Amino acid sequence: MVAQVLVNGIITAAEYALISLGFALIYRTAGFIHFSHGIVLTAGAYLTFLLTKWLGLPLSYSILPAVALSVLLGCLIETAVYRPLRRRKASSLILLLASLGVYFALQNIVSMAFGDGTRTIRLGGPEEGINVLGARITPVQVMIIFVSMALFVVVALLMKRTRIGRAMRAVASDPALARLCGIESDRVILFVFAIGSALAGVAGILVALDVNMTPTMGLNALMMGMLAAIIGGVRSIPGVALGALFLGMAQQLGGWKMGPQWQDATAFVILLAFLLFRPQGVLSRKGRSAKLGFGS
Amino acid sequence: MEYLLHIVILIGIYVILSVSLNLIAGYTGALSIAHAAFYGVGAYVAALMALKLHSPFLLNVVCAVFLCGLLGALVGIPSLRIRGDYFVIATFAFQVITFSVLNNWVSFTSGPMGLPGIPQPMIFGLKISSHLGFLLLIGLLCAITLLITRQIVRSPFGRVLKTIREDEVLAQAAGKNVAKYKVLVFVVGAGMAAVAGVMYAYYISFIDPTSFTVMESIFILSIVIIGGAGSLWGPVVGAIVLVMLPEALRFIGLPSSIAANIRQMLYGGALVAFMMWRPQGLLGEYAFEKESSQT
Amino acid sequence: MNSSLLEVDALHKSFDGVAALDAFSCSVRDGEVLGLIGPNGAGKTTLFNVVTGFLPADSGSVTFRTIELHNKAPHRIANAGITRTFQNLRLIRMLSVLDNVLLSFKHQPGEHLHNIFFRWKTSARVEARNRETALSLLETAGLAEKAHDPAEALSYGQQKLLSLVCCLAAGADLLLLDEPVAGIAPTMIEKILSIIRRLPEQGKTVILIEHNLDAVMQVCDRVIFMDAGKKVSEGTPEEVRNDPRVIEAYIE
Repeated sequence: MVAQVLVNGIITAAEYALISLGFALIYRTAGFIHFSHGIVLTAGAYLTFLLTKWLGLPLSYSILPAVALSVLLGCLIETAVYRPLRRRKASSLILLLASLGVYFALQNIVSMAFGDGTRTIRLGGPEEGINVLGARITPVQVMIIFVSMALFVVVALLMKRTRIGRAMRAVASDPALARLCGIESDRVILFVFAIGSALAGVAGILVALDVNMTPTMGLNALMMGMLAAIIGGVRSIPGVALGALFLGMAQQLGGWKMGPQWQDATAFVILLAFLLFRPQGVLSRKGRSAKLGFGS
Repeated sequence: MEYLLHIVILIGIYVILSVSLNLIAGYTGALSIAHAAFYGVGAYVAALMALKLHSPFLLNVVCAVFLCGLLGALVGIPSLRIRGDYFVIATFAFQVITFSVLNNWVSFTSGPMGLPGIPQPMIFGLKISSHLGFLLLIGLLCAITLLITRQIVRSPFGRVLKTIREDEVLAQAAGKNVAKYKVLVFVVGAGMAAVAGVMYAYYISFIDPTSFTVMESIFILSIVIIGGAGSLWGPVVGAIVLVMLPEALRFIGLPSSIAANIRQMLYGGALVAFMMWRPQGLLGEYAFEKESSQT
Repeated sequence: MNSSLLEVDALHKSFDGVAALDAFSCSVRDGEVLGLIGPNGAGKTTLFNVVTGFLPADSGSVTFRTIELHNKAPHRIANAGITRTFQNLRLIRMLSVLDNVLLSFKHQPGEHLHNIFFRWKTSARVEARNRETALSLLETAGLAEKAHDPAEALSYGQQKLLSLVCCLAAGADLLLLDEPVAGIAPTMIEKILSIIRRLPEQGKTVILIEHNLDAVMQVCDRVIFMDAGKKVSEGTPEEVRNDPRVIEAYIE
């Protein structure tokens, strides 16, 4: 039983990690909470559904177009809503509120188009799952873990080794200075949205393959992704992974001990604890800054 | 006619909710999406007391307000350590946790099945049973809420709130105990929301957790924002507009299956539109500007 | 005999390994106007931030009269009798000029919720009295016609004058003024300096940070020159100006 809880914890962590990574990248580079990230995840799943069930494409051919369209959606939100607001020097609160509005408008479009019920893109019926060390795990779930890890490595390499990755880090730490060095922050931010949205789209498809999809799937996933990012520390990629792992495990353990209906509450209590006592996350190197962020 | 009274009663409930959230978010600048939690707890406290203890209406109101006040303090205290974006998330966490408790503590709250059969309120021997009766009661409570709020915002206390909203550092340098003000404003706001919750419970006579979700919190926040943050009458205008909007849709003859979706879509769209073109809302004076923290 | 109003003893404060305050000590006498000068980054504003409680010191102590200010919250320190202005000029732009001044008064009953509802006559009376005082302060400063305009409608110089008026309204004994005349026109400089000059006779003590050495020479009784967090020179404005160490630091 414990083994199953651990395995479930890893699977959950892998799912959260993908959305968490995208969210964290956007938060550190663009500087605000991109709530609509959740709907990009939902879009990934539902676009796949649209392509397979309504247009009859085979699943393997639908994934790439669905992810591409998710990227398009994320970038569209950035250019149509956030960029104009940034030009007007809108505060991060305004961006957050606008993001909330976009999320709810779009979630309802999904509801209207596809209904509120559960939809599936699975090929067969629910899968049996192979036995690993006393726990059951399905092939889809194994795939989730591997894809998640692979994408993490890819993004980490991107951040460290490529010029665009360095540009992203520059804009994240000091946008004004980055601009002086000739980095166009708008373009970098757009790129970050593209990557983040791709990760979200993939996450949506994976979650849908694992547990099917509903129009509100993005909200829950985003919440968990945000929690994982905050717990792990938004500024550190391994931190995000650790945060996701910690959250996934804690949730499954909490669910096991108290019943699955308390999973959400468990996660949020952990979040509150972190916000109160260690807002920079577990792995952040920066210590707590002085009262109210003062300089010299 | 009854239908019209029903709408006005709903508007009344949302006026109380949005005026109280405006005190927290509009005047003090503490954006919170936990308001439905206070609303819900107020409703549940009154309902449970009425159903299980058969206690009188006024006592239930007092208890609901008191408990929600404590809850408000619980949310207000973290606001001192957690800032800006993260604070909004903290209120979100609080909202979800409260909903979870209401929904999952089945032995106490009956969970998703809700609490039916809430009796009609008796005030000084007078039973409130008709729409008109509820309307008058709600109207009175709205007036009281607005009066209390008006007193607060026009006083030196209100001046300090507006100062905290724009510049906490300056408030502290001026000798104001920012922590105390923030907690107090949450206590007062939560207490008022509790009154709205109590009225909702008695009026509909059935409550369940689905009326007190994060979506509801965001709806109340939308009223504050669209009506105008930081103005006394903004929330009133906002409540009227946003509550009447779906009813207007019904007139056009939209099928009820997507009416709810269209309505939420419009709220979402309105929120975006206002953020892009008029963040201070229709009547407001606060436009959610950034707080400066350098000295 | 001039007693010591503020005692700063061996203050240390580092940021990321760089010392902003390095064993800094000084003594501020009751009723004096002390100037704090030095290059940018010398630690002057850091000193203000530590004294007013916005930054915790790494070590050392600050004593105001007999009260230890270590670890006290900023608002408590403000209420103990210390008030300040900020280098980057903090005002509540949306409130009126008058409201900004009214904000600064201490012991306002109307700032307590229970007084608003249960003792509204007293609250109203005190508010009216404060209003009169505020208007007369604004009158003396020459800002009375702008009393009901939003603070953001004032010119930069007028805003600096307003923040000084707010300090006066606070009724504090010790005023910490951070660059009170920087970046403003000469007429306004003179107006502000004349106000500062009269503060000691009203029983107040002033520490001011300034880069405008003329202004410092005019109003200060004593000057401290800081560099890299240390006190380099101390004495009358004349003495400090002629101190070879100070000359050297400025040439560097």
